[in-house]
Amino acid sequence: MSRLGACAVLSGLLWIGSASAQDRLDVTGEADVRWVSASGAPSYLNGGEGLLRFDPEHEDLRLGYLFLDARLRLTDSLSAHVIADAYGDHDRNVVDLSEAYLQWRPFPTNAIRWSAKAGAFFMPVSLENRGPGWTDVYTITPSALNTWIGEEFRTIGTEFEARWLGASQGYLGDVALIGAIYGWNEPAGELLADRGFGLTDRPSTLFGGIGEPPEEAYHQVDRRPGYYGGLTWRHHDWLELRALRYDNRADPYAETTTAYAWHTRFSSVGARLEPTEHWTFIAQYLDGTTTTAADIVTESLFVMNYRTAFALASFKQHRERFTVRFDDFQTHQVSGYYGLPPNELGHAWTLGWMHDFGHGWTTAAEWIRATSVFPPRVEYAESDGLIESQLQLAVRYRIHASL
Amino acid sequence: MRLAIWANGRDSERRQPVMRAAIYKKFRWSAWIALTWLGLGPGGSLGHAGDLIVAIADRAGKPVPEVAITAAALAPRPGARAPMPEPAIMDQRNLAFVPQLLVVGVGAEVQFPNNDSVSHQVYSFSPAKRFQLPLYKGAQHRPVNFDKAGLVVLGCNIHDQMVGYIYVTDAGYYGKSDAQGILHLSNLPAGDYTLTWWSPYIADAPEKMTRTIHVAEHEPVNIQVHLNRELRARPEPGARQTDWSY
Repeated sequence: MSRLGACAVLSGLLWIGSASAQDRLDVTGEADVRWVSASGAPSYLNGGEGLLRFDPEHEDLRLGYLFLDARLRLTDSLSAHVIADAYGDHDRNVVDLSEAYLQWRPFPTNAIRWSAKAGAFFMPVSLENRGPGWTDVYTITPSALNTWIGEEFRTIGTEFEARWLGASQGYLGDVALIGAIYGWNEPAGELLADRGFGLTDRPSTLFGGIGEPPEEAYHQVDRRPGYYGGLTWRHHDWLELRALRYDNRADPYAETTTAYAWHTRFSSVGARLEPTEHWTFIAQYLDGTTTTAADIVTESLFVMNYRTAFALASFKQHRERFTVRFDDFQTHQVSGYYGLPPNELGHAWTLGWMHDFGHGWTTAAEWIRATSVFPPRVEYAESDGLIESQLQLAVRYRIHASL
Repeated sequence: MRLAIWANGRDSERRQPVMRAAIYKKFRWSAWIALTWLGLGPGGSLGHAGDLIVAIADRAGKPVPEVAITAAALAPRPGARAPMPEPAIMDQRNLAFVPQLLVVGVGAEVQFPNNDSVSHQVYSFSPAKRFQLPLYKGAQHRPVNFDKAGLVVLGCNIHDQMVGYIYVTDAGYYGKSDAQGILHLSNLPAGDYTLTWWSPYIADAPEKMTRTIHVAEHEPVNIQVHLNRELRARPEPGARQTDWSY
């Protein structure tokens, strides 16, 4: 996607915003600065083979992120949303966008409410990233599953939702059917074959890239639209279930001068249980396959299966939140050739603590220990096995303004 | 045991009489008694005024608070006019309707202030009242008139987890049970009434949520309602994490 597109989106928002009225523009911003201590291998974000965000060469004081999450109300039914963020790493754009879309959500006139989004936005898989700027509200780093969703996937297209509003029928909950068509997601799957699953709070941006050297995540390679369809069920305010089927329908033989197409499809299910105001339990599972014609000589298809799951428990009392999570992840080559078999096998433990000081100030501490085996690592390291740990202490300040 | 205490009047003395019609407050007791003796009281029936005390309990005998309770005279005096209902407030606080259940008379004007730091878009498509009310911060809104009896289910188009209820009634006497599951209605003219109760958490069949009662002159009537079915799960109090929205 071009920078011209980013400029057009921002210019349009500024133009519309010039006609601002009461409570028309709503902006939330946050700065996150961290002290980091890490052990293991250089992070893949710095050109290494490590799965975590920071590494022994990138410790001490670091920028976690800066973001601005803005919503401009155009009419009662139509609004524009933008997330602009900065991570202080190798991204070629110092500031970039991770979401930019229009949302149409008219007042319901019966038990079915239709709504739609158009633009670029995260798909509704993560049950952790519920905060402004797609931040994780339970700990600093999302699970391996949702890290990957943030890294390689963005719906650049249109999503429709039909939501049955149960309260009007005497049921405290609702059920939503979701469907989307999109483009620019053909490269999705390549990072997983190159690195396996990772655990970072560093999603990709729309126009920049992640890694060293940074690679753009979103390309239009074969002009075949992909789709996903999903179902969400919310029961009272203590249970939410989600299921989603994703298929980017990419032609695995398609390529451009800058990107290859990966036919990536997966199924994802998740549940969030909040039995009391203090406790939250989340479990998500994702299982899928990616295919590409990596061998240009024989044009045989490289096929890789992958699956990952995590379970999280979080306890919140007054201003404190404590979270523990276990991640399990694996990738497995089924056929074809892509160098050494990218068969990743790993798991990770995460312990998190958050404290809300009030007046916009919060602090968060997190310890992650990830253990993994990934055969392609032997090209760069002595062993394909790796044990990494990372301790982060973040101080955050959030602002919120309505104009 | 609790019923015995009411009969002695000790418990009821500690409670303020619940009078929903504004006109009631304008009269002193003497004037009120005189009016009802003359048969001019609101919802006017045939006899002298009596008190009605309704206690709602679940299957285990535990009191059920926040239940809408109405008493409608079976034979209202011809020509009697219902009093003008009091204006009411349905607030928005911490991404919730406060109160979650509001009981008003037909014709009531209800204000919808927004005391949250975010915007709301309140709506209802219930047959009793259809309306859409964008509640942007700093904006003033006219009250909404509820001119038809029935249940009005409220939602927020931005925060789907927000659900509220306005129970609009044309009964002459109404209110909500308190924390002890009790509603005390005062000065009902003697006569027969249809007593009805409702809450989103009561799972009983609608035909089981009403009964005919008789209010006698000058003596309180105690009605004990035992629900047939288990209550639906009530959300835990306290704010929960909600998905980011504007």
